[in-house]
Amino acid sequence: MDNNSQSSIGLYKNTFLAGLWNENPVFRLMLGMCPTLAVTGAVKPAFTMGCCVIFVLICSNIVVSLMRNLLKPHLRIMMFTLTIATFVTIADLILKAFLPDMSDALGPYVPLIIVNCIIICRAEACASKNGMFISIIDAIGMGLGFTLTLCVLASIRELLATGAIFEVQILSLKESGGWFVPLAAFSMPIGAFVTLGLMLGLINLVSKKRS
Amino acid sequence: MLTDITVSFAPHISKKHSTRSVMLDVIIGLAPAMIAAVIFFRLYAITLVATCVISCMATEGICNLIRKKPNTLDDLSAVITGIILAFSIPPAFPLWAAIVGSVFSIAIGKMVFGGLGANIFNPAMVGRAFLTASFGMMMATWTVPGTIDPNMPQIAASENAVDVRTQASPLAYSKNAQKAQYGARELNESVGDIFLGNVGGCLGETSALALLIGGIYLLIRKTISFHIPVAVLLSTFIFSGIAYLINSDYYASPLYHLSSGGLFIGAFFIATDPVTAPLTRRGMWLFGFGVGTITMLVRIFGSFPEGMMYSILLMNAVTPLIDRMFKRVPAGGLPSAR
Amino acid sequence: MQDKIKYFLKQSWLLIAASFFFGLLIAVTNASLKERIDYNLNVYKYNKAAKVVLPEADNFEEVAESVSVKTNSGKELTTSVKKAVDSDGNALGWAFICEGKGFADKVQLLVIVDNDFERMIGYGVLYSIETVKYGDEIRFPEFMNQFKGAPAGGFQLSKTGDKTIIDSEIVAITGATITSQAVVDMFNAFIPQVKEQMQEKGLI
Repeated sequence: MDNNSQSSIGLYKNTFLAGLWNENPVFRLMLGMCPTLAVTGAVKPAFTMGCCVIFVLICSNIVVSLMRNLLKPHLRIMMFTLTIATFVTIADLILKAFLPDMSDALGPYVPLIIVNCIIICRAEACASKNGMFISIIDAIGMGLGFTLTLCVLASIRELLATGAIFEVQILSLKESGGWFVPLAAFSMPIGAFVTLGLMLGLINLVSKKRS
Repeated sequence: MLTDITVSFAPHISKKHSTRSVMLDVIIGLAPAMIAAVIFFRLYAITLVATCVISCMATEGICNLIRKKPNTLDDLSAVITGIILAFSIPPAFPLWAAIVGSVFSIAIGKMVFGGLGANIFNPAMVGRAFLTASFGMMMATWTVPGTIDPNMPQIAASENAVDVRTQASPLAYSKNAQKAQYGARELNESVGDIFLGNVGGCLGETSALALLIGGIYLLIRKTISFHIPVAVLLSTFIFSGIAYLINSDYYASPLYHLSSGGLFIGAFFIATDPVTAPLTRRGMWLFGFGVGTITMLVRIFGSFPEGMMYSILLMNAVTPLIDRMFKRVPAGGLPSAR
Repeated sequence: MQDKIKYFLKQSWLLIAASFFFGLLIAVTNASLKERIDYNLNVYKYNKAAKVVLPEADNFEEVAESVSVKTNSGKELTTSVKKAVDSDGNALGWAFICEGKGFADKVQLLVIVDNDFERMIGYGVLYSIETVKYGDEIRFPEFMNQFKGAPAGGFQLSKTGDKTIIDSEIVAITGATITSQAVVDMFNAFIPQVKEQMQEKGLI
């Protein structure tokens, strides 16, 4: 009995940590590239996007794991999409109601969470095969991994493009007497690709060294 | 190690050209433009070129150290990237920003792909594109040449270009004429000055004459083949000619378009980069034609006055496809045809 | 036939039930948040933009609904004109929403002109997703201030010039000619047409 609960704690821990590093959705699984490239221009929208994804991921994982025994194999993707679309619509409505400025800034990228591969991947790979509790832990791990990654990329880009992180000025700008001249290219798509590419290289290097 | 460059599909005939000797030829070919740049922009030319070359070489050296790869500085390709980058930015460009551009050129444009021979895009153009995207304002501030403005400061030590007299580049004038739908005829009178390089513009791009001399040297030395430059110049001539014939009030003459902007440096020195250009003759024609056409499309229909950089980068991107399209048929025919 | 229906239901009952349930869920959320979302869309953004342009304004009274305007591209758009009043009830100017096509997507601006439709008081950005540092600069004073107090309508865009001179010549944002042109075109189309219809209605 004791042994059993210990191993299940280990399982929970591993499930949670997998999302953060070993199976990090962006860096290791290369999923959810669209929001990763599109909303990482600044930390605030990236963070909001991350929170939306966490919300949708948890809800859809709960629902999918609850109905996993009722699923017909050939209709399962339809069920996943239906579930995800529902919660994304709810998240979109909540954003519009309570964070109108953020909703404007994210524009079409919130509805696009529906086709975000991370969520359907977790529904398929984890929630449709496991119990509710472990699915929730998996959702939190994956969601946090995604949010953290987005925030890391966004802070690099925001720092280089505006000299600020989370709209807090860190480098003093030249136009206000400092030394830093913003590299506007980093707020553009080219900045997203370059930052993501270099980060991927760095992560691969680190994990290669560790193994 | 990539000391020998492979420029074609099999069969190969070996020559005494090494990467180093080819690059040395290109540097000699760029020398007339360098002299012209010094005449027109004085010490700006020397400081800018030196800054770009040194920072390009330093970046390549550091990248090799980090990647634990043998030193590749002696193939001189970093020097050329530095010179071409310096030639394609405005003379009074802040030196720190030139360093940023050089680092980006080499690190992102070349070394992340695996060094010389593996890069998809011309490194100098990658750096220039980054600078244009980042510092749009500074990249469009053209200094009046010292031959026209005797008060031009002698040393480019100042951090920003406020104390330098500036003017619009010839292509900006022609863009304005297109927008205003008037005044292109007057522009055509200045073709002589533009051909010599006695106008505002990028450091080494202004003098079409000097670049032509350098280009002909490269052709004589057989460092480059004539296909790409001829295709670029011809297609530019044709397209600007069509526009000119349609309405000479809106559009400057073909000669004006040929001698202004980065056309000559692009045609002779950048588009002919053996790494990023197609390998077959027919591929080169298509590549050159694409570069010239896109340049003219940007100049006539685009919102930027100059399109050489974008057209070269775009054609670089399709180079692998062009190579595949015109794959040489080996002796005996293709396997399927047998 | 019955077997087929049975088979169909057997396979898809979950899908049908889930569709109903999820539909209900969205409907409930939407119903409970609708008021707030509508408020955000119509009042919150409007007031936020208006406060920046005309801080003295206390209230915006709707005076003319559905004023139709023909844009340069021949599209027919409707806007509603509101009267800006301060806390003492004095009329400060007229406010209405302009719309036009920018570089990335549509650009929606709130324009406030003075009581006689002679001069612009300013504009605020309601919707724009133009490129940061380029088209997005329409949100910032350097470009925006050129319109403050400028003659309403008949603007011209130029590439170079003095941005501090207030007249109908507007200096474009460097590298964002399309967006600058869109703003100028929008004002040139909307202001005279709205003015004309206000005169027809006898409001000015």
